[in-house]
Amino acid sequence: MAVSTPILGMAILIYLMVVFYLGWVGYKKTKNTEDYMLAGRKVNPFVLAFSYGATFISTAAIIGFGGYAGAFGMGVLWLVFMNIFVGIFIAFIIFGSRTRRMGSNLKAVTFPELLGRRFQSRFIQGFSGALITIFMPLYAGGVLIGGARFMETALGVDYNIAVLILAIIVAAYVITGGLIAIMYTDALQGALMFIGMSILLVITYVKLGGVVEAHQALTNMAHLVPENLAAAGHTGWTTMPAFGSPTWWTLVSTIILGVGIGVLAQPQLAVRFMTVQSSRSLKRAVLSGGPFIFMMAGVAYIVGALSNVYFLETKGMISFDVVGGNIDKIIPEYINSAMPDYFVVFFLLTLLAAAMSTLSSQFHTMGTAFGHDLYREYIMKGKIAKTINITKAAIATTILISVALAYILPPGIIARATAIFFGLCAAAFLPMYAGAIFWKRMTKEGATASLLAGTFSSLFWLTFVHAKEASALGISKALFGVDTILTGTWTVVDPILIATPLALIVAVVVSLMTKPASQEHIDMCFK
Amino acid sequence: MLGINDPQIWIAYILCFLSAIGCMIYGIIHWNDEEDNN
Repeated sequence: MAVSTPILGMAILIYLMVVFYLGWVGYKKTKNTEDYMLAGRKVNPFVLAFSYGATFISTAAIIGFGGYAGAFGMGVLWLVFMNIFVGIFIAFIIFGSRTRRMGSNLKAVTFPELLGRRFQSRFIQGFSGALITIFMPLYAGGVLIGGARFMETALGVDYNIAVLILAIIVAAYVITGGLIAIMYTDALQGALMFIGMSILLVITYVKLGGVVEAHQALTNMAHLVPENLAAAGHTGWTTMPAFGSPTWWTLVSTIILGVGIGVLAQPQLAVRFMTVQSSRSLKRAVLSGGPFIFMMAGVAYIVGALSNVYFLETKGMISFDVVGGNIDKIIPEYINSAMPDYFVVFFLLTLLAAAMSTLSSQFHTMGTAFGHDLYREYIMKGKIAKTINITKAAIATTILISVALAYILPPGIIARATAIFFGLCAAAFLPMYAGAIFWKRMTKEGATASLLAGTFSSLFWLTFVHAKEASALGISKALFGVDTILTGTWTVVDPILIATPLALIVAVVVSLMTKPASQEHIDMCFK
Repeated sequence: MLGINDPQIWIAYILCFLSAIGCMIYGIIHWNDEEDNN
Protein backbone atom coordinates (compact mmCIF):
# COMPACT_ATOMS: atom_id res chain seq x y z
CA MET A 1 0.00 0.00 0.00
CA ALA A 2 1.30 3.40 -0.97
CA VAL A 3 -0.86 5.41 1.43
CA SER A 4 -0.88 5.65 5.19
CA THR A 5 -3.63 3.75 6.94
CA PRO A 6 -4.58 6.64 9.32
CA ILE A 7 -5.39 9.00 6.41
CA LEU A 8 -7.43 6.31 4.68
CA GLY A 9 -9.13 5.33 7.94
CA MET A 10 -10.07 8.97 8.53
CA ALA A 11 -11.50 9.35 5.02
CA ILE A 12 -13.56 6.18 5.42
CA LEU A 13 -14.82 7.31 8.83
CA ILE A 14 -16.04 10.67 7.44
CA TYR A 15 -17.67 8.87 4.51
CA LEU A 16 -19.44 6.40 6.81
CA MET A 17 -20.70 9.22 9.04
CA VAL A 18 -22.34 10.88 6.02
CA VAL A 19 -23.80 7.51 4.95
CA PHE A 20 -25.29 6.97 8.41
CA TYR A 21 -26.69 10.51 8.43
CA LEU A 22 -28.46 9.82 5.10
CA GLY A 23 -29.65 6.46 6.49
CA TRP A 24 -31.12 8.30 9.48
CA VAL A 25 -32.86 10.79 7.15
CA GLY A 26 -34.38 7.81 5.31
CA TYR A 27 -35.55 6.31 8.61
CA LYS A 28 -37.22 9.59 9.64
CA LYS A 29 -38.97 9.97 6.27
CA THR A 30 -40.31 6.40 6.18
CA LYS A 31 -43.94 6.51 7.34
CA ASN A 32 -45.62 3.60 5.52
CA THR A 33 -45.13 0.52 3.32
CA GLU A 34 -44.85 2.53 0.09
CA ASP A 35 -42.08 4.65 1.62
CA TYR A 36 -40.15 1.57 2.76
CA MET A 37 -40.59 -0.41 -0.46
CA LEU A 38 -40.69 2.33 -3.13
CA ALA A 39 -39.31 5.50 -1.50
CA GLY A 40 -42.84 6.96 -1.54
CA ARG A 41 -43.00 6.98 -5.39
CA LYS A 42 -41.66 10.55 -5.57
CA VAL A 43 -37.89 10.33 -6.06
CA ASN A 44 -35.93 13.18 -7.68
CA PRO A 45 -34.73 12.28 -11.25
CA PHE A 46 -31.05 12.95 -10.45
CA VAL A 47 -31.26 10.75 -7.35
CA LEU A 48 -32.95 8.09 -9.50
CA ALA A 49 -30.24 8.24 -12.21
CA PHE A 50 -27.31 8.10 -9.79
CA SER A 51 -29.00 5.48 -7.63
CA TYR A 52 -29.77 3.29 -10.66
CA GLY A 53 -26.22 3.70 -11.97
CA ALA A 54 -24.52 3.13 -8.62
CA THR A 55 -26.63 0.01 -8.03
CA PHE A 56 -25.93 -1.27 -11.54
CA ILE A 57 -22.16 -0.67 -11.32
CA SER A 58 -20.56 -2.64 -8.50
CA THR A 59 -17.00 -3.61 -7.75
CA ALA A 60 -17.68 -6.47 -10.18
CA ALA A 61 -17.96 -4.02 -13.08
CA ILE A 62 -14.97 -1.88 -12.11
CA ILE A 63 -12.58 -4.55 -10.83
CA GLY A 64 -13.94 -7.71 -12.50
CA PHE A 65 -14.70 -6.45 -16.00
CA GLY A 66 -11.96 -3.77 -15.83
CA GLY A 67 -9.53 -6.63 -15.18
CA TYR A 68 -11.08 -8.54 -18.08
CA ALA A 69 -10.30 -5.54 -20.34
CA GLY A 70 -6.73 -5.58 -18.98
CA ALA A 71 -6.37 -9.19 -20.06
CA PHE A 72 -8.44 -9.25 -23.27
CA GLY A 73 -8.56 -5.64 -24.49
CA MET A 74 -11.10 -3.07 -25.60
CA GLY A 75 -13.67 -5.38 -27.25
CA VAL A 76 -15.59 -5.10 -23.99
CA LEU A 77 -16.39 -1.47 -24.94
CA TRP A 78 -19.38 -2.94 -26.80
CA LEU A 79 -20.77 -3.74 -23.35
CA VAL A 80 -20.47 -0.05 -22.41
CA PHE A 81 -22.49 0.87 -25.49
CA MET A 82 -25.10 -1.77 -24.56
CA ASN A 83 -25.16 -0.52 -20.95
CA ILE A 84 -25.88 3.04 -22.09
CA PHE A 85 -28.23 2.34 -25.02
CA VAL A 86 -30.11 -0.68 -23.60
CA GLY A 87 -29.40 -0.30 -19.87
CA ILE A 88 -30.26 3.40 -19.68
CA PHE A 89 -32.07 4.67 -22.79
CA ILE A 90 -34.30 1.70 -23.66
CA ALA A 91 -34.71 0.75 -19.99
CA PHE A 92 -35.86 4.19 -18.82
CA ILE A 93 -37.78 5.44 -21.85
CA ILE A 94 -39.40 2.29 -23.24
CA PHE A 95 -39.58 -0.14 -20.29
CA GLY A 96 -39.48 2.42 -17.47
CA SER A 97 -42.46 4.57 -18.32
CA ARG A 98 -44.81 1.60 -18.82
CA THR A 99 -43.48 -0.13 -15.70
CA ARG A 100 -44.08 2.99 -13.63
CA ARG A 101 -47.63 3.43 -14.91
CA MET A 102 -48.64 -0.23 -14.56
CA GLY A 103 -47.01 -0.47 -11.12
CA SER A 104 -49.04 2.53 -10.02
CA ASN A 105 -52.29 1.17 -11.56
CA LEU A 106 -51.87 -2.22 -9.87
CA LYS A 107 -50.47 -0.78 -6.62
CA ALA A 108 -47.50 -3.14 -6.87
CA VAL A 109 -44.56 -2.47 -4.53
CA THR A 110 -42.04 -5.02 -5.88
CA PHE A 111 -41.01 -6.35 -9.30
CA PRO A 112 -42.47 -9.86 -8.68
CA GLU A 113 -45.68 -8.25 -7.42
CA LEU A 114 -45.99 -6.21 -10.63
CA LEU A 115 -45.71 -9.43 -12.69
CA GLY A 116 -48.01 -11.38 -10.36
CA ARG A 117 -50.77 -8.75 -10.40
CA ARG A 118 -50.50 -8.15 -14.16
CA PHE A 119 -51.16 -11.87 -14.74
CA GLN A 120 -53.44 -12.30 -11.70
CA SER A 121 -51.20 -15.08 -10.40
CA ARG A 122 -49.85 -15.50 -6.89
CA PHE A 123 -47.73 -18.36 -8.26
CA ILE A 124 -45.82 -16.01 -10.59
CA GLN A 125 -45.20 -13.60 -7.71
CA GLY A 126 -44.15 -16.41 -5.35
CA PHE A 127 -41.95 -18.26 -7.86
CA SER A 128 -40.23 -15.02 -8.96
CA GLY A 129 -39.68 -14.16 -5.29
CA ALA A 130 -38.23 -17.62 -4.65
CA LEU A 131 -35.90 -17.33 -7.65
CA ILE A 132 -34.55 -14.01 -6.36
CA THR A 133 -34.27 -15.38 -2.81
CA ILE A 134 -32.28 -18.42 -3.95
CA PHE A 135 -29.97 -16.95 -6.62
CA MET A 136 -29.47 -13.29 -5.72
CA PRO A 137 -27.36 -14.13 -2.63
CA LEU A 138 -24.82 -15.59 -5.10
CA TYR A 139 -24.53 -12.16 -6.79
CA ALA A 140 -24.57 -10.35 -3.43
CA GLY A 141 -21.94 -12.77 -2.11
CA GLY A 142 -19.75 -11.89 -5.11
CA VAL A 143 -20.08 -8.15 -4.44
CA LEU A 144 -19.46 -8.70 -0.72
CA ILE A 145 -16.23 -10.54 -1.59
CA GLY A 146 -15.12 -7.61 -3.78
CA GLY A 147 -15.75 -5.08 -1.01
CA ALA A 148 -14.14 -7.21 1.69
CA ARG A 149 -11.03 -7.95 -0.40
CA PHE A 150 -10.60 -4.20 -0.84
CA MET A 151 -10.83 -3.63 2.94
CA GLU A 152 -8.36 -6.45 3.50
CA THR A 153 -5.68 -5.00 1.19
CA ALA A 154 -6.31 -1.32 1.96
CA LEU A 155 -6.82 -1.39 5.72
CA GLY A 156 -5.12 -4.62 6.68
CA VAL A 157 -8.39 -5.92 8.17
CA ASP A 158 -8.77 -9.71 8.30
CA TYR A 159 -10.93 -10.81 5.33
CA ASN A 160 -13.44 -12.74 7.45
CA ILE A 161 -13.96 -9.76 9.75
CA ALA A 162 -14.17 -7.39 6.75
CA VAL A 163 -17.11 -9.39 5.32
CA LEU A 164 -18.98 -9.05 8.62
CA ILE A 165 -18.23 -5.33 9.06
CA LEU A 166 -19.36 -4.51 5.51
CA ALA A 167 -22.56 -6.56 5.83
CA ILE A 168 -23.46 -5.03 9.22
CA ILE A 169 -22.88 -1.42 8.06
CA VAL A 170 -25.05 -1.84 4.95
CA ALA A 171 -27.67 -3.89 6.82
CA ALA A 172 -28.02 -1.14 9.43
CA TYR A 173 -29.24 1.52 7.02
CA VAL A 174 -31.13 -0.84 4.69
CA ILE A 175 -33.22 -2.44 7.45
CA THR A 176 -34.00 0.81 9.27
CA GLY A 177 -34.29 3.28 6.39
CA GLY A 178 -35.72 1.20 3.52
CA LEU A 179 -35.53 2.38 -0.08
CA ILE A 180 -35.39 6.10 0.83
CA ALA A 181 -32.15 5.55 2.77
CA ILE A 182 -30.82 3.32 -0.01
CA MET A 183 -31.47 5.85 -2.78
CA TYR A 184 -30.05 8.80 -0.83
CA THR A 185 -26.88 6.90 0.07
CA ASP A 186 -26.69 5.58 -3.51
CA ALA A 187 -26.71 9.15 -4.83
CA LEU A 188 -23.80 10.09 -2.52
CA GLN A 189 -21.92 6.91 -3.48
CA GLY A 190 -22.65 7.51 -7.17
CA ALA A 191 -21.26 11.05 -6.95
CA LEU A 192 -18.06 9.73 -5.32
CA MET A 193 -17.75 7.09 -8.04
CA PHE A 194 -18.29 9.67 -10.81
CA ILE A 195 -15.53 11.95 -9.48
CA GLY A 196 -13.12 9.07 -8.84
CA MET A 197 -13.48 7.55 -12.30
CA SER A 198 -13.26 10.95 -14.06
CA ILE A 199 -9.91 11.67 -12.39
CA LEU A 200 -8.69 8.16 -13.22
CA LEU A 201 -9.43 8.63 -16.94
CA VAL A 202 -7.70 12.02 -17.15
CA ILE A 203 -4.57 10.96 -15.23
CA THR A 204 -4.24 7.78 -17.33
CA TYR A 205 -4.42 9.55 -20.69
CA VAL A 206 -2.08 12.35 -19.52
CA LYS A 207 0.41 9.80 -18.16
CA LEU A 208 0.47 7.88 -21.44
CA GLY A 209 0.96 10.96 -23.62
CA GLY A 210 -2.58 11.60 -24.91
CA VAL A 211 -5.58 9.71 -26.27
CA VAL A 212 -4.27 8.72 -29.72
CA GLU A 213 -0.71 8.12 -28.46
CA ALA A 214 -1.94 5.81 -25.68
CA HIS A 215 -4.15 3.82 -28.06
CA GLN A 216 -1.36 3.60 -30.67
CA ALA A 217 1.07 2.28 -28.05
CA LEU A 218 -1.50 -0.37 -27.08
CA THR A 219 -2.11 -1.27 -30.74
CA ASN A 220 1.65 -1.75 -31.21
CA MET A 221 1.70 -4.33 -28.38
CA ALA A 222 -0.36 -6.96 -30.25
CA HIS A 223 2.71 -9.19 -30.70
CA LEU A 224 3.03 -9.51 -26.89
CA VAL A 225 -0.19 -11.54 -26.44
CA PRO A 226 0.75 -14.72 -24.51
CA GLU A 227 0.63 -17.88 -26.64
CA ASN A 228 -2.06 -19.62 -24.59
CA LEU A 229 -4.39 -16.58 -24.87
CA ALA A 230 -3.63 -16.20 -28.60
CA ALA A 231 -4.54 -19.86 -29.12
CA ALA A 232 -7.99 -19.13 -27.61
CA GLY A 233 -8.58 -16.23 -30.03
CA HIS A 234 -6.89 -13.20 -28.38
CA THR A 235 -5.52 -11.01 -31.21
CA GLY A 236 -4.42 -7.87 -29.31
CA TRP A 237 -5.83 -5.22 -26.97
CA THR A 238 -7.30 -2.92 -29.63
CA THR A 239 -8.84 -5.64 -31.82
CA MET A 240 -11.80 -7.98 -31.41
CA PRO A 241 -10.95 -11.63 -30.64
CA ALA A 242 -10.85 -14.00 -33.65
CA PHE A 243 -14.44 -14.53 -34.86
CA GLY A 244 -15.95 -17.75 -33.48
CA SER A 245 -13.04 -18.45 -31.10
CA PRO A 246 -13.76 -19.37 -27.44
CA THR A 247 -12.64 -15.87 -26.35
CA TRP A 248 -14.99 -14.29 -28.92
CA TRP A 249 -17.96 -16.38 -27.73
CA THR A 250 -17.31 -15.55 -24.08
CA LEU A 251 -17.00 -11.84 -24.88
CA VAL A 252 -20.04 -11.65 -27.15
CA SER A 253 -22.46 -14.11 -25.53
CA THR A 254 -21.68 -13.94 -21.81
CA ILE A 255 -20.38 -10.41 -21.37
CA ILE A 256 -21.85 -8.20 -24.10
CA LEU A 257 -25.25 -9.90 -24.53
CA GLY A 258 -25.56 -11.58 -21.11
CA VAL A 259 -24.91 -8.47 -19.06
CA GLY A 260 -25.98 -5.99 -21.76
CA ILE A 261 -29.50 -7.40 -22.15
CA GLY A 262 -29.79 -9.04 -18.72
CA VAL A 263 -29.87 -5.60 -17.12
CA LEU A 264 -33.41 -5.01 -18.43
CA ALA A 265 -34.83 -7.74 -16.20
CA GLN A 266 -32.89 -7.04 -13.00
CA PRO A 267 -35.48 -6.87 -10.20
CA GLN A 268 -33.45 -4.38 -8.12
CA LEU A 269 -33.22 -2.04 -11.13
CA ALA A 270 -36.74 -2.48 -12.56
CA VAL A 271 -38.28 -1.62 -9.17
CA ARG A 272 -36.66 1.82 -9.41
CA PHE A 273 -38.93 2.80 -12.31
CA MET A 274 -41.80 2.59 -9.83
CA THR A 275 -40.16 5.08 -7.46
CA VAL A 276 -40.82 8.21 -9.53
CA GLN A 277 -43.94 10.30 -9.81
CA SER A 278 -44.17 10.67 -13.58
CA SER A 279 -42.64 9.60 -16.89
CA ARG A 280 -41.09 13.05 -17.11
CA SER A 281 -38.83 12.14 -14.19
CA LEU A 282 -37.64 9.08 -16.14
CA LYS A 283 -36.82 11.24 -19.18
CA ARG A 284 -34.95 13.69 -16.96
CA ALA A 285 -33.03 10.83 -15.35
CA VAL A 286 -31.64 9.79 -18.75
CA LEU A 287 -29.75 13.10 -18.87
CA SER A 288 -27.38 12.06 -16.08
CA GLY A 289 -27.79 8.26 -16.38
CA GLY A 290 -26.06 7.96 -19.78
CA PRO A 291 -22.92 9.95 -18.93
CA PHE A 292 -22.77 8.24 -15.51
CA ILE A 293 -22.54 4.75 -17.02
CA PHE A 294 -19.99 5.98 -19.57
CA MET A 295 -17.80 7.38 -16.79
CA MET A 296 -18.12 4.17 -14.77
CA ALA A 297 -17.92 1.21 -17.14
CA GLY A 298 -16.29 3.05 -20.06
CA VAL A 299 -13.44 4.38 -17.93
CA ALA A 300 -12.88 1.06 -16.12
CA TYR A 301 -12.53 -0.82 -19.41
CA ILE A 302 -10.43 1.80 -21.23
CA VAL A 303 -8.07 2.16 -18.27
CA GLY A 304 -7.97 -1.62 -17.75
CA ALA A 305 -6.80 -2.11 -21.34
CA LEU A 306 -4.34 0.81 -21.21
CA SER A 307 -2.75 -0.55 -18.00
CA ASN A 308 -0.80 -2.81 -20.37
CA VAL A 309 0.99 0.22 -21.86
CA TYR A 310 1.88 1.54 -18.40
CA PHE A 311 3.18 -1.81 -17.13
CA LEU A 312 5.17 -2.40 -20.33
CA GLU A 313 6.86 1.01 -19.95
CA THR A 314 7.58 0.63 -16.22
CA LYS A 315 8.01 -3.12 -15.67
CA GLY A 316 8.54 -4.51 -19.17
CA MET A 317 5.55 -6.84 -18.71
CA ILE A 318 1.90 -6.96 -19.78
CA SER A 319 -0.80 -6.58 -17.09
CA PHE A 320 -1.74 -10.27 -17.21
CA ASP A 321 1.83 -11.24 -16.26
CA VAL A 322 2.23 -8.48 -13.64
CA VAL A 323 -0.64 -9.96 -11.59
CA GLY A 324 0.36 -13.57 -12.24
CA GLY A 325 -2.82 -14.30 -14.21
CA ASN A 326 -5.31 -13.19 -11.49
CA ILE A 327 -7.14 -10.59 -13.58
CA ASP A 328 -9.16 -9.30 -10.59
CA LYS A 329 -5.91 -7.70 -9.39
CA ILE A 330 -5.10 -5.69 -12.56
CA ILE A 331 -7.05 -2.52 -11.66
CA PRO A 332 -5.94 -2.41 -7.96
CA GLU A 333 -2.32 -3.06 -9.02
CA TYR A 334 -2.48 -0.32 -11.67
CA ILE A 335 -4.01 2.19 -9.23
CA ASN A 336 -1.38 1.44 -6.59
CA SER A 337 1.52 1.68 -9.04
CA ALA A 338 0.48 4.49 -11.37
CA MET A 339 -1.63 6.91 -9.35
CA PRO A 340 -0.56 9.61 -6.87
CA ASP A 341 -1.06 8.75 -3.16
CA TYR A 342 -3.99 11.10 -2.54
CA PHE A 343 -5.86 9.53 -5.44
CA VAL A 344 -5.26 6.00 -4.17
CA VAL A 345 -7.17 6.97 -1.01
CA PHE A 346 -9.99 8.48 -3.04
CA PHE A 347 -10.17 5.51 -5.40
CA LEU A 348 -10.39 3.06 -2.52
CA LEU A 349 -13.35 5.09 -1.24
CA THR A 350 -14.82 4.91 -4.76
CA LEU A 351 -14.59 1.12 -4.66
CA LEU A 352 -16.13 0.94 -1.20
CA ALA A 353 -18.99 3.16 -2.42
CA ALA A 354 -19.46 0.93 -5.49
CA ALA A 355 -19.70 -2.19 -3.33
CA MET A 356 -22.04 -0.65 -0.74
CA SER A 357 -24.42 0.94 -3.25
CA THR A 358 -24.94 -2.38 -5.02
CA LEU A 359 -25.14 -4.41 -1.81
CA SER A 360 -27.80 -2.16 -0.28
CA SER A 361 -30.21 -2.73 -3.17
CA GLN A 362 -29.43 -6.44 -3.30
CA PHE A 363 -30.25 -6.78 0.40
CA HIS A 364 -33.48 -4.79 -0.03
CA THR A 365 -34.58 -6.75 -3.12
CA MET A 366 -33.76 -10.15 -1.61
CA GLY A 367 -35.58 -9.23 1.58
CA THR A 368 -38.71 -7.97 -0.17
CA ALA A 369 -38.71 -11.01 -2.50
CA PHE A 370 -38.44 -13.42 0.42
CA GLY A 371 -40.58 -11.60 2.99
CA HIS A 372 -43.24 -9.90 0.88
CA ASP A 373 -43.50 -11.86 -2.40
CA LEU A 374 -42.73 -15.42 -1.34
CA TYR A 375 -43.83 -15.58 2.31
CA ARG A 376 -46.57 -12.97 2.78
CA GLU A 377 -48.26 -12.99 -0.64
CA TYR A 378 -47.71 -16.59 -1.84
CA ILE A 379 -47.36 -18.85 1.21
CA MET A 380 -49.67 -16.88 3.55
CA LYS A 381 -51.94 -15.61 0.70
CA GLY A 382 -51.59 -12.06 2.01
CA LYS A 383 -53.41 -12.88 5.24
CA ILE A 384 -50.83 -11.71 7.75
CA ALA A 385 -49.78 -8.52 9.43
CA LYS A 386 -47.78 -5.55 8.16
CA THR A 387 -45.36 -6.30 5.38
CA ILE A 388 -42.59 -4.01 6.71
CA ASN A 389 -41.81 -6.14 9.78
CA ILE A 390 -41.76 -9.36 7.77
CA THR A 391 -39.56 -7.72 5.13
CA LYS A 392 -37.09 -6.51 7.78
CA ALA A 393 -36.77 -10.04 9.18
CA ALA A 394 -36.37 -11.41 5.64
CA ILE A 395 -33.66 -8.85 4.79
CA ALA A 396 -31.71 -9.97 7.88
CA THR A 397 -32.09 -13.63 6.84
CA THR A 398 -30.94 -13.12 3.25
CA ILE A 399 -27.97 -11.04 4.44
CA LEU A 400 -26.85 -13.98 6.60
CA ILE A 401 -27.06 -16.28 3.54
CA SER A 402 -24.96 -13.82 1.48
CA VAL A 403 -22.35 -13.58 4.25
CA ALA A 404 -22.17 -17.39 4.43
CA LEU A 405 -21.66 -17.52 0.64
CA ALA A 406 -18.88 -14.90 0.88
CA TYR A 407 -17.01 -17.35 3.14
CA ILE A 408 -17.68 -20.38 0.89
CA LEU A 409 -17.35 -19.11 -2.71
CA PRO A 410 -13.98 -19.70 -4.42
CA PRO A 411 -11.68 -16.77 -5.41
CA GLY A 412 -12.00 -15.14 -8.84
CA ILE A 413 -15.78 -15.65 -8.75
CA ILE A 414 -16.92 -11.99 -8.76
CA ALA A 415 -17.50 -11.45 -12.48
CA ARG A 416 -18.86 -15.00 -13.02
CA ALA A 417 -21.40 -14.75 -10.19
CA THR A 418 -22.61 -11.45 -11.64
CA ALA A 419 -22.91 -12.84 -15.18
CA ILE A 420 -24.76 -15.98 -13.97
CA PHE A 421 -27.38 -13.92 -12.12
CA PHE A 422 -27.83 -11.46 -15.00
CA GLY A 423 -28.23 -14.34 -17.47
CA LEU A 424 -30.73 -16.18 -15.28
CA CYS A 425 -32.82 -13.02 -14.85
CA ALA A 426 -32.83 -12.43 -18.60
CA ALA A 427 -34.11 -15.94 -19.32
CA ALA A 428 -36.61 -16.22 -16.46
CA PHE A 429 -38.04 -12.69 -16.37
CA LEU A 430 -37.37 -10.78 -19.60
CA PRO A 431 -39.91 -12.40 -22.00
CA MET A 432 -42.59 -12.37 -19.27
CA TYR A 433 -41.77 -8.78 -18.22
CA ALA A 434 -41.70 -7.47 -21.81
CA GLY A 435 -44.98 -9.28 -22.54
CA ALA A 436 -46.54 -7.92 -19.36
CA ILE A 437 -46.01 -4.28 -20.29
CA PHE A 438 -46.20 -4.41 -24.12
CA TRP A 439 -48.52 -7.27 -25.13
CA LYS A 440 -52.12 -7.15 -23.89
CA ARG A 441 -52.84 -10.63 -25.34
CA MET A 442 -50.24 -12.33 -23.12
CA THR A 443 -51.97 -14.73 -20.74
CA LYS A 444 -51.34 -15.99 -17.23
CA GLU A 445 -50.57 -19.47 -18.64
CA GLY A 446 -48.15 -18.03 -21.23
CA ALA A 447 -46.33 -16.05 -18.55
CA THR A 448 -46.13 -19.03 -16.18
CA ALA A 449 -44.83 -21.33 -18.94
CA SER A 450 -42.26 -18.73 -20.02
CA LEU A 451 -41.04 -18.22 -16.43
CA LEU A 452 -40.60 -21.97 -15.90
CA ALA A 453 -39.06 -22.63 -19.35
CA GLY A 454 -36.58 -19.75 -18.97
CA THR A 455 -35.58 -20.72 -15.44
CA PHE A 456 -35.10 -24.44 -15.98
CA SER A 457 -33.51 -24.29 -19.44
CA SER A 458 -31.04 -21.70 -18.12
CA LEU A 459 -30.19 -23.84 -15.08
CA PHE A 460 -29.95 -26.98 -17.27
CA TRP A 461 -27.53 -25.25 -19.65
CA LEU A 462 -25.41 -23.98 -16.74
CA THR A 463 -25.29 -27.42 -15.12
CA PHE A 464 -24.72 -29.64 -18.15
CA VAL A 465 -23.42 -27.63 -21.14
CA HIS A 466 -21.70 -24.29 -20.36
CA ALA A 467 -18.20 -25.49 -19.57
CA LYS A 468 -17.18 -22.85 -17.01
CA GLU A 469 -20.01 -23.68 -14.60
CA ALA A 470 -20.69 -27.30 -15.60
CA SER A 471 -17.15 -28.49 -14.93
CA ALA A 472 -16.96 -26.50 -11.66
CA LEU A 473 -20.28 -27.89 -10.39
CA GLY A 474 -19.35 -31.48 -11.32
CA ILE A 475 -23.00 -32.65 -11.52
CA SER A 476 -22.67 -33.64 -15.19
CA LYS A 477 -19.45 -35.51 -14.39
CA ALA A 478 -21.14 -37.40 -11.54
CA LEU A 479 -24.22 -38.35 -13.60
CA PHE A 480 -22.81 -38.94 -17.09
CA GLY A 481 -19.05 -39.20 -16.59
CA VAL A 482 -18.36 -36.16 -18.80
CA ASP A 483 -17.78 -32.51 -17.87
CA THR A 484 -20.33 -31.32 -20.45
CA ILE A 485 -22.91 -33.36 -22.37
CA LEU A 486 -22.36 -31.35 -25.58
CA THR A 487 -18.93 -30.55 -27.03
CA GLY A 488 -17.24 -27.96 -29.25
CA THR A 489 -18.58 -24.41 -29.57
CA TRP A 490 -21.74 -25.21 -27.56
CA THR A 491 -19.71 -25.30 -24.35
CA VAL A 492 -18.81 -21.60 -24.69
CA VAL A 493 -22.27 -20.37 -25.76
CA ASP A 494 -23.88 -18.58 -22.80
CA PRO A 495 -27.23 -19.88 -21.46
CA ILE A 496 -28.81 -16.49 -22.28
CA LEU A 497 -28.58 -17.23 -26.02
CA ILE A 498 -30.44 -20.53 -25.56
CA ALA A 499 -32.84 -19.97 -22.66
CA THR A 500 -34.11 -16.45 -23.44
CA PRO A 501 -35.26 -17.19 -27.04
CA LEU A 502 -36.81 -20.44 -25.79
CA ALA A 503 -38.72 -18.62 -23.03
CA LEU A 504 -39.88 -16.02 -25.58
CA ILE A 505 -41.19 -18.68 -28.00
CA VAL A 506 -42.96 -20.51 -25.15
CA ALA A 507 -44.54 -17.24 -23.97
CA VAL A 508 -45.97 -16.46 -27.42
CA VAL A 509 -47.14 -19.99 -28.32
CA VAL A 510 -48.79 -20.75 -24.96
CA SER A 511 -50.43 -17.30 -24.80
CA LEU A 512 -51.98 -17.74 -28.24
CA MET A 513 -53.32 -21.17 -27.22
CA THR A 514 -54.96 -19.98 -24.00
CA LYS A 515 -57.80 -17.67 -23.03
CA PRO A 516 -56.86 -14.00 -22.59
CA ALA A 517 -57.50 -12.10 -19.35
CA SER A 518 -60.77 -10.18 -18.98
CA GLN A 519 -60.96 -6.88 -20.88
CA GLU A 520 -61.73 -5.14 -17.59
CA HIS A 521 -58.44 -6.31 -16.03
CA ILE A 522 -56.42 -5.41 -19.14
CA ASP A 523 -57.98 -1.93 -19.20
CA MET A 524 -57.03 -1.42 -15.56
CA CYS A 525 -53.41 -2.53 -16.19
CA PHE A 526 -52.90 -0.34 -19.25
CA LYS A 527 -54.96 2.74 -18.36
CA MET B 1 -8.76 6.05 -36.15
CA LEU B 2 -7.83 7.31 -32.65
CA GLY B 3 -4.76 5.05 -32.74
CA ILE B 4 -6.99 1.96 -33.09
CA ASN B 5 -6.84 -0.04 -36.34
CA ASP B 6 -9.79 -2.42 -35.91
CA PRO B 7 -13.01 -0.61 -36.94
CA GLN B 8 -15.00 -2.91 -34.62
CA ILE B 9 -13.19 -1.28 -31.69
CA TRP B 10 -13.05 2.38 -32.67
CA ILE B 11 -16.70 2.29 -33.72
CA ALA B 12 -17.55 0.93 -30.24
CA TYR B 13 -15.41 3.66 -28.64
CA ILE B 14 -17.18 6.42 -30.58
CA LEU B 15 -20.64 4.86 -30.06
CA CYS B 16 -20.07 4.92 -26.29
CA PHE B 17 -19.39 8.65 -26.48
CA LEU B 18 -22.28 9.38 -28.82
CA SER B 19 -24.81 7.35 -26.82
CA ALA B 20 -23.82 9.14 -23.59
CA ILE B 21 -24.15 12.52 -25.32
CA GLY B 22 -27.42 11.38 -26.95
CA CYS B 23 -28.83 10.58 -23.50
CA MET B 24 -27.93 14.08 -22.31
CA ILE B 25 -29.56 15.73 -25.33
CA TYR B 26 -32.71 13.60 -24.93
CA GLY B 27 -32.97 14.54 -21.25
CA ILE B 28 -32.58 18.25 -22.03
CA ILE B 29 -35.14 18.20 -24.89
CA HIS B 30 -37.74 16.47 -22.71
CA TRP B 31 -36.94 18.39 -19.52
CA ASN B 32 -40.18 20.37 -19.62
CA ASP B 33 -42.53 17.66 -20.92
CA GLU B 34 -46.04 17.46 -19.49
CA GLU B 35 -46.44 15.64 -16.17
CA ASP B 36 -48.43 12.43 -16.66
CA ASN B 37 -48.66 11.08 -13.13
CA ASN B 38 -51.58 8.85 -12.28
